[in-house]
Amino acid sequence: MIDTQLLISGVIFGLSLGSIYFLLAIGLSLCFGLMRIISLDQLLYYSFGAYMAYTVGLATGSFWFGVAAGTVVAGLISFIVERLIFRRIYERDPTFSMITSFGLLIGGIGVIKFFWGVVPRPVEVPTVIQVDVFGTAVPVYRLIVIGFAIVVYVGIWLFLHRTIVGKAIRAAIENVEHVEGLGINVSRLFTITFVIAGALSGLAGGLHAPLIMVDPMMGLETMAFVFMIVIIGGLGSIKGTLISALIVGQVVSVGSIIYAPMAQMAPFVMMLLVLLVRPTGLYGSPLYKR
Amino acid sequence: MTTDASTTISNSEILKVTGLSAAYGEAKVLFDIDVSVKPGQIVACVGRNGAGKTSLLRSIAGFLNPTAGSVVADARNLVGMKPYDIAKFGVKYVPQDKKVFSDLTVRENLELASYATNDHNWDRVLEFFPKLKQHMDRKAGFMSGGERQMLMIGRATLGSPKVLLIDEPTEGLAPGIVTHLRNVFKELAKMTALLIVEQNLPLVCAIADRVYAIKDGRVVAEVSDKDAITFDACEQYL
Repeated sequence: MIDTQLLISGVIFGLSLGSIYFLLAIGLSLCFGLMRIISLDQLLYYSFGAYMAYTVGLATGSFWFGVAAGTVVAGLISFIVERLIFRRIYERDPTFSMITSFGLLIGGIGVIKFFWGVVPRPVEVPTVIQVDVFGTAVPVYRLIVIGFAIVVYVGIWLFLHRTIVGKAIRAAIENVEHVEGLGINVSRLFTITFVIAGALSGLAGGLHAPLIMVDPMMGLETMAFVFMIVIIGGLGSIKGTLISALIVGQVVSVGSIIYAPMAQMAPFVMMLLVLLVRPTGLYGSPLYKR
Repeated sequence: MTTDASTTISNSEILKVTGLSAAYGEAKVLFDIDVSVKPGQIVACVGRNGAGKTSLLRSIAGFLNPTAGSVVADARNLVGMKPYDIAKFGVKYVPQDKKVFSDLTVRENLELASYATNDHNWDRVLEFFPKLKQHMDRKAGFMSGGERQMLMIGRATLGSPKVLLIDEPTEGLAPGIVTHLRNVFKELAKMTALLIVEQNLPLVCAIADRVYAIKDGRVVAEVSDKDAITFDACEQYL
């Protein structure tokens, strides 16, 4: 029998982990949904976000300033990468973007090692306050991370459903050519989406930094989980990405309480089961090659 | 391939395609096509499946890059322009797939067209297609084929386009809707030129001012006398 306090603690841990995964996976999902690219470089922006939180946080004494800097820097880098690299390969097969972005990721890890070295860096948690949740002491910071994910989800939903640019992005996810046929500059939509994705990856890295040791390989280490979340949720689906991220967060967290080796294995089993029943993922729609 | 637009277009032609050739990779699909449309005219292209009719419209709209020739609309050469620039310029393409943005409501579909053209007056669209009024807040994916076609044509008419390129508009539609579309096309022709790809010959005979027959990527016949556009004259090319 699992101890109730341990279980509650595990659920909160899982929710905060799922929130980080959501922030990271949403960019990958949107990029594939709209541009049909596999943007593994999002994991690099995630690492940059974490290192910015470390460096700027240390320099200014404000962790939150570091997170903001990480988000902005990740957004800026992704803007440059989109303009210089991805714009030239959108028309190509998705495999091409996967290889290109993997190259960017590996190259970026080299840059991180050059500037920050290979030694993992600790980032101080901005608040050590704990609150009581059903008799269990829960760190407030983990609740803040969950709050960020909720705000981002609502913000993205509002952006996609209440603004004309968001509606154009939703339309382009369905059919890029028809959006162009209306007279809308799709290339601009691509840039906006890519920068949003990059900034959210940077935010994910910054928020994750105090919960882990920041190291150059942190992006690569998260890659399998993020991929899994995008596939389980359904490519291009925001709702699917959120639900999938929360499920994977719980499976990893609660699974490790039940049986530790399960924490790493169970998400993969779950992905296989989902794909057997729904090959397009939980909320994915059939994708057509453009 | 590019030509001086101002010298090649006749004042009486809103769209002039000259010597147009196009290919999908190595596969050539259009050979030296000449087509012209005057303002207020309805011009139809007929031909069998795979003849190159859709490729012609896609080349004009910028979705298929020509390998030779020119496409001049309102004194501007469209070759080399991006599809969205061509649409913004006023040459709008309505594809045959009847794929509206299914996750968006009818209102949102029209909003996107308004955003692109800065034309927020939907009166004419709703006058042509009053049925759309009833479905404004319904997801477009739940509409029938005929309603989707109305929405696609309605979207394209926003911004007062110079030329509408409409691909097989009546394919798979009920006779009542075909009749409705026929009347709409006649009304539309009062404000814009139409180049329609169509295999429904009674419709072509009823509305077309000029017909081009396309076979194997080439224009094999042109009938520019309205009285000569008959079912029998067109049928031999299907």
